Amino acid sequence: MLTALWNNLDYAAPMMLFLIGLYAVIAKDNLIKKFMGLNIMETAVFAFIMALGVVDGGSAPIIDHGAHAPFTNPIPQALILTGIVVALSTTALALSLIIRIYEQCGTIEGNELRELG
Amino acid sequence: MKKLLVTALLIVAGIPLLLMVAELPPYGSAENATYTHVSAHYLEHAVEDAGAENIVTDIILNYRGFDTNGEVTVIFTALAAVLAVLLLDRTPAAAGEESAPAPADEESTQPVSIVVSFIVRLLAPFIALFALYVILNGHATPGGGFQGGTILGALAIALTVVLGHKEAQRLLPEGLKPWLQAAAPLTFIVIGLAGLVSVGSYLEFPAVNGHVASAVATFFSNIGFPAAEGLSWVRAMWLLLLEFGIGIGGAAVIASIFWTMEAE
Amino acid sequence: MVSWPHWLVTIIIVPLVGAVLTPVVGRGRPKVIPIWALGIMTATSLAALMLIIRVAQEGPFSYLVGGWARPYGIELHFDEFSASVGIICLVGWLALLFSYHYVAETIPARRVPYFYTLVLLNLTGMIGFVVTGDLFNLFVFLEILSLSAYALVAVSGEHIAEMAAFKYLVMGAVSSIVVLLSIGLLYSVTGSLNMADIASRLAGVEQRLPVMLALAGLAMSFMVKAALFPLHIWLPDAHSIAPSPVSAILSGLVVKVGVFGLLRVYQIFYGAGTYDLTGLNTALVWLGAISIVMGAFFAIFQEDIKMMLAYSTISNIGYIVMGLGLASQYSLIGATVHIFNHALIKGTLFLAAGAIIHKTGYRTLTDLRGVGKAMPVTCMAVSIGAISIVGIPPTAGFLCKWYIALGAFQAGKPAFGIALIFGALFIFIYYIRMVNSFYFQKPTHPEILEVGEAPLSMLIPILVLATLCLVMGILGRIPISFIEPAVIRMLGPFGG
Repeated sequence: MLTALWNNLDYAAPMMLFLIGLYAVIAKDNLIKKFMGLNIMETAVFAFIMALGVVDGGSAPIIDHGAHAPFTNPIPQALILTGIVVALSTTALALSLIIRIYEQCGTIEGNELRELG
Repeated sequence: MKKLLVTALLIVAGIPLLLMVAELPPYGSAENATYTHVSAHYLEHAVEDAGAENIVTDIILNYRGFDTNGEVTVIFTALAAVLAVLLLDRTPAAAGEESAPAPADEESTQPVSIVVSFIVRLLAPFIALFALYVILNGHATPGGGFQGGTILGALAIALTVVLGHKEAQRLLPEGLKPWLQAAAPLTFIVIGLAGLVSVGSYLEFPAVNGHVASAVATFFSNIGFPAAEGLSWVRAMWLLLLEFGIGIGGAAVIASIFWTMEAE
Repeated sequence: MVSWPHWLVTIIIVPLVGAVLTPVVGRGRPKVIPIWALGIMTATSLAALMLIIRVAQEGPFSYLVGGWARPYGIELHFDEFSASVGIICLVGWLALLFSYHYVAETIPARRVPYFYTLVLLNLTGMIGFVVTGDLFNLFVFLEILSLSAYALVAVSGEHIAEMAAFKYLVMGAVSSIVVLLSIGLLYSVTGSLNMADIASRLAGVEQRLPVMLALAGLAMSFMVKAALFPLHIWLPDAHSIAPSPVSAILSGLVVKVGVFGLLRVYQIFYGAGTYDLTGLNTALVWLGAISIVMGAFFAIFQEDIKMMLAYSTISNIGYIVMGLGLASQYSLIGATVHIFNHALIKGTLFLAAGAIIHKTGYRTLTDLRGVGKAMPVTCMAVSIGAISIVGIPPTAGFLCKWYIALGAFQAGKPAFGIALIFGALFIFIYYIRMVNSFYFQKPTHPEILEVGEAPLSMLIPILVLATLCLVMGILGRIPISFIEPAVIRMLGPFGG
């Protein structure tokens, strides 16, 4: 089991990163830090899916004259391109919400906001 | 206390994740299901099927083009969302101060050092050229509409910092603004509908043996651009159009989001 | 006309075109925007009608986007469950009509075009979500509808609206990420993203743990989207603060997306055939039962009418999820039909509440005493909605709850059937409170009696939905017999 885990270390690391991000989302009070946690989670998932596409000794999946097999798996790369755009969009919206919250309440600390009601 | 609790909870959640990781197919092996099923088909057929040497481009614009259609819609949604959250109605009093922000803008441009300002201005055309290069070479090299669009958007942001809000906004003429912001989804829809009408399925690219397609291919070979081996000119053109739409639309959206956040 | 193959993609493209062109069309002509949006939704509804007729005639069918064979391209798949596009179009259309006057008076003018853009994008996302047959495409549409929903909560700019939206966004974004992770896990063991293809390949997969974790991840994140009890904390604020037409869409349709996601997950795993889903079923039944009781319990203590309706949504989602978890033929039919009926009922109630709040300016039960005499038609609609949601026989809510209860007996878990009936009693209590305060109590604010009915653009949607609540009670067998073959097919060898 441990050897399998060691071989799959590239999958295990994003999982740990995912949990670190989740920690920030749950435990941090500052809205921006919360959101940074969310971005860490997103990055972790992207890294995990990218790692799924790796093939030992693979080259970039661009087939021109000098290229030689094996190529890495192109699907995860295509998916993650979409994923990154989605993450960017969520970030833009979250930051605008934070701007408005700060304008209205003068703070972005979760505990102070709760006191304000 | 709360933090300890959360940490403990996450460690407990981590154990099944690690057990699962140990059970996943071995990393980097070419025998995995991920590599032998759909992806093998793409690697083998993508170039003649979809028309670009870069298989990632083939996938995002052709095989899974509908995903990308949705993806550019997500960016557009983000823009609409940011505008819906941040735009405020100018009250008459604020409208009276309309002249006031202008000098404030001038002031905000002052702190930028002359060196930075000069270098940004100097580099701007080259950055734009590079962005265009990235957009137009997405079918053959790593790059494409999203990457190039981001470079263009970043250029617009850099210019805003240097030139000030008013000057930079002239990059996006008022009348064209909503069209440019919607450029990416609109390009997809136009190309998609063209496929629906001419070939028979939404987002289907014309085949080499279609009438129009072969006419265009002949035209290009006549003017000295013979079709590369296994590639169809028309499909490459289609891909370029999509890349271009994505690039322009993406840049417009990024710049608009930045301007909205800056102004409100 | 019905057999035109492209309706399935048209139904996504039309509202999408409408959404991206709204700012262009509305430039300098703010009056045109609502009419444009309504026109777009009318066209979409036409496509929905064609699709529903076709699926009723010939059963499920697919559309291959880009002409690529399965599993290499993206497949759109329309089955009986996808007929939910009908209710999405109906409620969406009526909510847009309701917005005609409402939005102009409550939302800052510069935001109005983007309000309509976001509503149309939200509906596009939902339609795409229910018709797609590709797991990653599902995620993309999920993001379109979630992002627009977060923004729509904050669009009114009211106090704490942004805070509610942020809370919704954080919970929603975490669940979206988990969806993506689970899709990645399923991809890692099957190598495919097409739902039908995954289902057929899952049977031969040796690695059980990744698949089980993917199932758990998908189930959990869709439970967040559906606001099941312990994961519901984002819902009450978001749904009560949002503008009323948005509340109707969020509460009637968007939370159902979570349920629908669960349904799709079930389809994949039932299709695979070799997975034991008892654990998930039990969890869903219990969480559903707890949601019914807790949602109703919290609703009793609410003073704010929209808050009360929001908690009532949690309770009703509990019914649907319990029906899914019982996994017997009757309960599944009841659950799927309740998705449809609850959208009608909650649409009526939220729109009526919106009209009342809009006209009177008050939103608590104490302040609204006696409003029944001032706005008799609207309050009648509220009463019809209340009767339906409790599930009193001639109305829409009865038949599906009856089927879920029957399903509980069929699955050999009669205790849950009884819990369900008690839940209905709870719900009865708080709606009685509402009706009582509207009709039979002395007004706290005498001037409330002077208030007239809302304008026609608000009244018509309320009345249409209220009428449908009654009509669907009488014609309740139609959706049931429509959905029955799909449920039998889905349960397959497991059919109880």
